[in-house]
Amino acid sequence: MAEKTRYVRSIIMLIFIFFTIGYLIYSRIMAYSLAPTMKPADFHGLPLWQIPIAYLIDYFSHGWICLLFAFVAAGLVYEFVPKEAITKYMSGSKVTGYGLAIGMAPFLTVCSCTMVPLFAGVLYTGAGIGPAITFLLMAPAANILSILLTGEMISWELAGVRIIVSVVVALAAGIVISKTPWGKAIEKEHQVNSSSSISKIEIVKPPLDERLWSALKFGGYIAKQILPFFLLGLIIVSYVEAFLPEDIVGSYLTGISGILLASVIGGPLYTPTLVEIVLGKGMYELGMSKGALLSWLMGQPYDVANALAVSKIARWKVVLTYMFIAWAGSVIFGLTYGILSGSL
Amino acid sequence: MKEVIVEVIGVDPPCKRCQATYKSVEEAVSTLKEKDIDVKIFKLNVQSKDTIAKYGVLVSPALAINNVVRIMGRVPDRKEIERLILATVK
Repeated sequence: MAEKTRYVRSIIMLIFIFFTIGYLIYSRIMAYSLAPTMKPADFHGLPLWQIPIAYLIDYFSHGWICLLFAFVAAGLVYEFVPKEAITKYMSGSKVTGYGLAIGMAPFLTVCSCTMVPLFAGVLYTGAGIGPAITFLLMAPAANILSILLTGEMISWELAGVRIIVSVVVALAAGIVISKTPWGKAIEKEHQVNSSSSISKIEIVKPPLDERLWSALKFGGYIAKQILPFFLLGLIIVSYVEAFLPEDIVGSYLTGISGILLASVIGGPLYTPTLVEIVLGKGMYELGMSKGALLSWLMGQPYDVANALAVSKIARWKVVLTYMFIAWAGSVIFGLTYGILSGSL
Repeated sequence: MKEVIVEVIGVDPPCKRCQATYKSVEEAVSTLKEKDIDVKIFKLNVQSKDTIAKYGVLVSPALAINNVVRIMGRVPDRKEIERLILATVK
């Protein structure tokens, strides 16, 4: 009997998951816009209180499937990605360390509370400061939720560029810091001799229905954490679109100075919650250049809250170094992308 | 009376999911007491050097029973913990 209920539960959840994926694909094929379709001009003439409501209705009538898919996918990936691989291989060679940091970070870090502990863990086990920094920068810049939303809301071209640039910047920062004297000092200070820990790990694999359920539950948990901020972000964006004159955006957020400005405001403005994507889209609509938009999105890794947590472990010198590299990366690649795409 | 050591490995200050894991363990303990199993619960900080020296890098929340990590990166429910502990003492 218990077997049978498990079976039925699995089937129901699988149907739900396939519906979500299927509907998203269907809406893509029908070329149905998943992002808000209202243009800044549509907001003129609306009373103040109606602006966010109109924008939210517009957004959710298109975007609900995209959000649902993003949260379901994030939950599933997090549940099924082999987390014990990190424990097993992270203390190995540097190359595996960097590889794992880049390969795993995007899937594991949808929940911000896991990031700093993992950074510390990677640093302590002997993989060293290089992979630890790579992991730390890779995580917020290119995690699965933000990539899915960048792709759906802005464009898949930009999402692809965002992944590539994140990998390059994260690797560069990791390698550079591991060569600096202060990076090496931190590495020495924190190394612990982990005894043969592999034998002590025997992860149990629960039956499929329980895994699916915990994946969906985790997706719901992330949604609960993120959606309030996301909603607030949408409300702010609706006012930005309604009241920020296009010529201001056009004159300040384009060209080389636009990239510099976007890269600087992207960081301290602590928006870990996908709001940066909506806000970026809003400003792009108002005339921000593609180059500046990339710089803006890349500004996330050096947000202040994270830097504070990391500075407790790795000190300010390391934090300032990686913040500088991340900032420089966002400017350089913003410029490059702006020139290549003809939108500077 | 059989003794079992359960370690709940999470971040400090505790995150919501680590607290949920701890609560599930506490719930399981009361049922296991009736079956004559004495469970000692410890809280470990996933970021501390002692924990990392013992188990390596873990994804929190994690759960170790008698010094073996059995669950990592998810919140188990009361029944699953009971099953795992029963299987360990058997």
